Amino acid sequence: MKTARSVILADKVADWTIRIGGLGVIAAVFGIMLFLTLVVVPLFTGASVERSAVTAEPSGGARPLMDVIDEYKTISVSIDAVGAAHAFHIATGTALEMPAYDLGLSDGKALTAFARTLNGRDIAFGFSDGTLRLGSVKVGGSVINTADVPGDLRRLTDADATDGRAIFTTVSADQTRRVSVDIELGEPQQVAPAGTAIVAADYRMGGAAERPTVSLVSVDAAGVGRVSRTESKTNMLTGATTTSLTSSELPGLPTGVVVRNVLMTDKADQVYVVEAGGTVYRYDTRAFDAPVLAETTDLLPGDVTVGAIKFLIGEQSLVVAGSDGSVGVYFRLQIPEAKTADGYILTRAHTLAPHGAGVVAIDASQRGKMFLTADANGEIWLRHSTSEQVLLKLKPDGKVTYRALAFAPRENGVLAISDDNKVYTWDIAAPHPETTLGTIFGKVWYEGYPAPEYTWQSSSGTDAFEPKFSLVPLIFGTIKATLYSLLFAIPIALGAAIYTSEFVHPRVRAVVKPTMELMASLPSVVLGFIAALILAPIVETWLAAIVLAFVVIPTGLFLSAYLWQLLPAPLALRFGGVPKFVLIFVTITVFTYLAVLASPVFESVFFGGDLKAWANGTVGTSEPFTALMSFPFIFLVIFFSSKAFVGRTFGHLLRGADRTKAGLADFATWLAMVVLAGVISYALALVFVGLGVDPRGGIVDTYVQRNTLVVGFAMGFAVIPIIYTISEDALNTVPEHLRAASLACGATSWQTAVSVIMPTAMSGIFSAIMVGMGRAVGETMIVVMAAGNTPLMEWNIFNGLRALSANIAVELPEAVRDSTLYRMLFLAALTLFVITFIVNTFAEVVRQRFRKRTAQM
Amino acid sequence: MTDSYIPRGQAASAENTAGRRTDLRSRGEPALWSLGGALALGIIMILGFLALVFSNGIATFIPKPIAVVTETGGQVTAGEPFRSESFRPTVEEVATLPPDWQARIKSAGGMVNRTLYRMGNFDVYGEDFRWVADYAVAKREFPANMVFVERMEWGPFIGTVKALTIDGNAQPFKSIEDPVFLQAHQQALDRADDIRDIERGRIGDINHRLENERLALRKVELAEGRTSAAYRDAQDRLNTLSVTLQRDYDALAAEVTKLREASARNTLTLAAVGGEEKTIEFAALVRIYPANDLGFWGKVGVYLSRWGEFLGGEPREANTEGGVFPAIFGTAAMTLLMVLVVAPFGVITALYLREYAKQGRLVSFVRISVNNLAGVPSIVYGVFGLGFFAYVLGGSIDALFYPERLPSPTFGTGGLLWSALTLALLTVPVVIVATEEALAAVPRSMREGSLACGASKWQTIKYIVLPRAMPGVMTGVILAMARGAGEVAPLMLVGVVKLAPELPIDGIFPFVHLERSFMHLGFHIFDVGFQSRNAEAGKPMVFVTTVLLIALVTIVNAAAIILRSRLKRRFAGSQF
Repeated sequence: MKTARSVILADKVADWTIRIGGLGVIAAVFGIMLFLTLVVVPLFTGASVERSAVTAEPSGGARPLMDVIDEYKTISVSIDAVGAAHAFHIATGTALEMPAYDLGLSDGKALTAFARTLNGRDIAFGFSDGTLRLGSVKVGGSVINTADVPGDLRRLTDADATDGRAIFTTVSADQTRRVSVDIELGEPQQVAPAGTAIVAADYRMGGAAERPTVSLVSVDAAGVGRVSRTESKTNMLTGATTTSLTSSELPGLPTGVVVRNVLMTDKADQVYVVEAGGTVYRYDTRAFDAPVLAETTDLLPGDVTVGAIKFLIGEQSLVVAGSDGSVGVYFRLQIPEAKTADGYILTRAHTLAPHGAGVVAIDASQRGKMFLTADANGEIWLRHSTSEQVLLKLKPDGKVTYRALAFAPRENGVLAISDDNKVYTWDIAAPHPETTLGTIFGKVWYEGYPAPEYTWQSSSGTDAFEPKFSLVPLIFGTIKATLYSLLFAIPIALGAAIYTSEFVHPRVRAVVKPTMELMASLPSVVLGFIAALILAPIVETWLAAIVLAFVVIPTGLFLSAYLWQLLPAPLALRFGGVPKFVLIFVTITVFTYLAVLASPVFESVFFGGDLKAWANGTVGTSEPFTALMSFPFIFLVIFFSSKAFVGRTFGHLLRGADRTKAGLADFATWLAMVVLAGVISYALALVFVGLGVDPRGGIVDTYVQRNTLVVGFAMGFAVIPIIYTISEDALNTVPEHLRAASLACGATSWQTAVSVIMPTAMSGIFSAIMVGMGRAVGETMIVVMAAGNTPLMEWNIFNGLRALSANIAVELPEAVRDSTLYRMLFLAALTLFVITFIVNTFAEVVRQRFRKRTAQM
Repeated sequence: MTDSYIPRGQAASAENTAGRRTDLRSRGEPALWSLGGALALGIIMILGFLALVFSNGIATFIPKPIAVVTETGGQVTAGEPFRSESFRPTVEEVATLPPDWQARIKSAGGMVNRTLYRMGNFDVYGEDFRWVADYAVAKREFPANMVFVERMEWGPFIGTVKALTIDGNAQPFKSIEDPVFLQAHQQALDRADDIRDIERGRIGDINHRLENERLALRKVELAEGRTSAAYRDAQDRLNTLSVTLQRDYDALAAEVTKLREASARNTLTLAAVGGEEKTIEFAALVRIYPANDLGFWGKVGVYLSRWGEFLGGEPREANTEGGVFPAIFGTAAMTLLMVLVVAPFGVITALYLREYAKQGRLVSFVRISVNNLAGVPSIVYGVFGLGFFAYVLGGSIDALFYPERLPSPTFGTGGLLWSALTLALLTVPVVIVATEEALAAVPRSMREGSLACGASKWQTIKYIVLPRAMPGVMTGVILAMARGAGEVAPLMLVGVVKLAPELPIDGIFPFVHLERSFMHLGFHIFDVGFQSRNAEAGKPMVFVTTVLLIALVTIVNAAAIILRSRLKRRFAGSQF
């Protein structure tokens, strides 16, 4: 008889479906890790060159002073040493006609100085007659309808065409981008005495739109520096604009100084006069009519001269490159011991990899902390200041000397003009320059910070902001939350598990275990809500009572236990089951109430009357609290040493006495030990505090409402049921014959539990703790809601934290896809994944060993 | 555990009173009490937590009396006593009090009671709550004519009814049970329903059709270009359609205006306790009851009607009032969709691991890993869901099937489908582990018997193994549901929103909108508790939502536990 075809078919189909489906699901699950890794990898890949080209510069002419390119890398505009502007189409090198302007140069009036802002838009010319002219270069694009494009265009590339003055780029079927150059020049301003050439200048625009002010700094050939401010007022009635100029001299410049450069910061509150040898004269110009020489410092060693110097965006970081190829980044830092006039010192924060030859040009990014340095050998290095890395080294064939260097506004291109009139262009991609393993996991010196630090601060409103992507504070936050919650959860969960498994009647156990497991079904968003909105205010009000409860409840339980021992044996036997358990509840309730009642006294004795103020360090002394902290350890030491030294003898004595007497004796010893421990720990506290150890500033400090204490408690609800269930199961699977044998030998159930059951189940208990830890590490909603989310690095239990998981939940919805922040958050997720996977696998392996061991018994 | 089990706690309690006594210390009594204390603390924690949540949640909707408090300073406050606490007044404050109060405060250790009144009338006073210290109370009354008015906007109003206008005519106000009043209110509510129907339903439909036609045009444009004949056709279609639809729209808008005008002719003038008057339309009146003049059944009626609104209504006032129906619906839809995905895949994987794969090191490694994936934080799955499902998969779907809607994403952002898939991935280990256990519990002999009878492998699985394992599988699926319904963190990344205007399932083709964002009970708690105008005003709502969510998760969990015990019993009977 043959099997029906349909059966065979069904079997085959099922076979394949199950195999493919099963393997697919497994692959999908492992694919998570792969995908996270794939998203994270670009953070570490640096930068790449997508295309490079060399074309001839059409104009020839004099040495260019600057070069700018537009956002779309369509047009390059340069201004040369005689003040003439040249523009050309970058892709083909086609020269474009420029709007005419007249600098008014003559035999007696030569161009002697030039300045520009970072984006290249605002420029200034200084002349030999002591005048300055401000101006602007606008290279910009606007999108127009294709229908409006003029007809007689000369085609340059597939997309680009020109009418000789502007470039028309086809964007889509009906849209065209028109990129053109506009140059405007203002009136000459006499800033230096007539006939004294201006050798260096810088300026910033400020003021309101209707009353613009221009702040200028200039140094003339006589070595005199000046700050000047022009203010334009428009008369409302006549519409006429009047411009007034006020100047004041910069004091303290040595005569005959050879000024290489002057720089002014954005708010015109700082002026840097840079001497060719690297000496910087820093002026505080907040009082514009009375500038103060704040600091004189030499940034370069010996006979090294300044190769190039430039501010990065935000004008806090100053890049100084020397003729020896060295590149350093300086910040102005407020340092208490600074001897400068304004309390700030120019500090070298980053020392970057040096070039092989002297640096000749720098250009900085307009949207981040990247910049380009070009050296005398013709190498152009793309660097990032924060991460100190060299992202790219661009090397043209042969030795090239550059005359101008431009970084594309979107950080996606580099243009350099050589002295043999060649234009070198590179299309580059450097999407994540700020991240390296060093910046993510190491200390980084950020702008304005007194020292390198671990900081997470991912976003801000402006481009000038330096994003701070250190995962360390977040990992620290996760560890802190985990540690404190485990400190709370492990004793309760393990104690409860041992008691449930070994000391209660199975009928009680059948009620108690599901009740505890009910805790696991509480959604964590509920826990977070209760913790943050209900618990946090309660804890704040009753802080002293809660701290006291940690002491009073265990003490109360011990006290009740010793009193219980005084009960006559028949009574103790009769009420040993459920009534005793109920009595434990009563004890806890009573002693909690006592803690509440005693909390004002406790607060005044231990914390100078106000716990929060005490934690701040404003009132009280720290000896009592230190004593309280060391008390449990001292007590345990005394307890175990007494057991080791006199335990046997004492045990024999107890056995000899009758029950009540023995109970009293035991009680008395306990009391004696408590008193002894109290005395010793207070003495120790005196010594510690004398040595300068203070828990304040460490594990206790300023109180914040949403703090780790609250998080630890709420997280307990999430962690306790897990540790409880797994360890209870582990205790329960210890073979019954071991238990029976131990009891049959005359051991008490306590002795059995401690010496037989727990050692056997230890690996299971350990794995329970590991799994609980995994849960605490990844818990999100509780920490989002109750932890305050401040990325701090302190162990203070009264302050909040920002965990990896909470950080993801808070920031990922706002993160732009594929941005650095987005990838950093994926890295945070990957970190969580790896941590929990390792912890859980470890726990699982330990548990399997445990199963094998118990199975062999 | 066998039945001949000796209660362990009792095993060593039979103390040998004659002859040698045991060492008291070997009994470890203090240690036992500590362990018991740990268990007791755990139980107190869970029971206390549940008591806190349930007592607050259940009590929220009980109508409370309205107190009118006249302070010694002359200020009059009317409101529900919300909660009381003792506080420490400043020294300066105490100094201004009469001597008897100073003495009382001094004897109470500087503490005195104060009560928080929920005043309502946010539009009049600009605050919802007010603390009144005991010493400031000159008179506290519960006047019978005070009414509690729940409004569509501005939260509740507490005061008295001043006047009544029905159809533009002033009417005398007799009582809230007055049939004239009730009828007017009912009519106003019906009108409000009509307006909503028109605005949401019919005008929404017009917008929807117009949008569809516009998208169709864009699609033609993308496919054939602007100059093609097809494009011109589509453009004409759009133009004619928009003309007709505009006409329809105008008609509907006129209808709405008429209804609105009718609504505006039916108003109720209320007076706050300070005399400030407020005229509101009947249509803006959700519920009105005389708080101090309400019998037991009246209270029950208000209580039940509030629950009804909560379960069936839509949220108002930035989610702090009204109902959570969309959230319940969203939670249920997402969980069911998740089960549709997780059940077959979980079972197939378990079948593969248990019945098909060659048992060896690799499979045991896979098994450990699958087990561990249950411990990977849920937020990680959320990150993956956003990055892979929404951005990569959804982005590709958009580019392939919905190019006309770009750049606004259709599937390329969070939504119901991606949430369900993310949670499916999160919960699939639960189903795999449960199913594997159930499969392992099916005796080998049964499989062998089936195969020996000539059944194919699939027939054996289908007719012998799976039916036996079914309860176990169900338990796993239900546990997965419970886990899925309670998760919030990953959903915050992949599609849950605070307010979704449209349900993911509705009457517009294709009826189930997998790409839509949705509301979720858990996220509702987070949102109302943390992002609302006044956390205090939102708290009662959060408690009720919490009760609902816990009840939901617990019921689902309990179902799993019951099923598991049944399963065990069934197996006990079938083993031979």
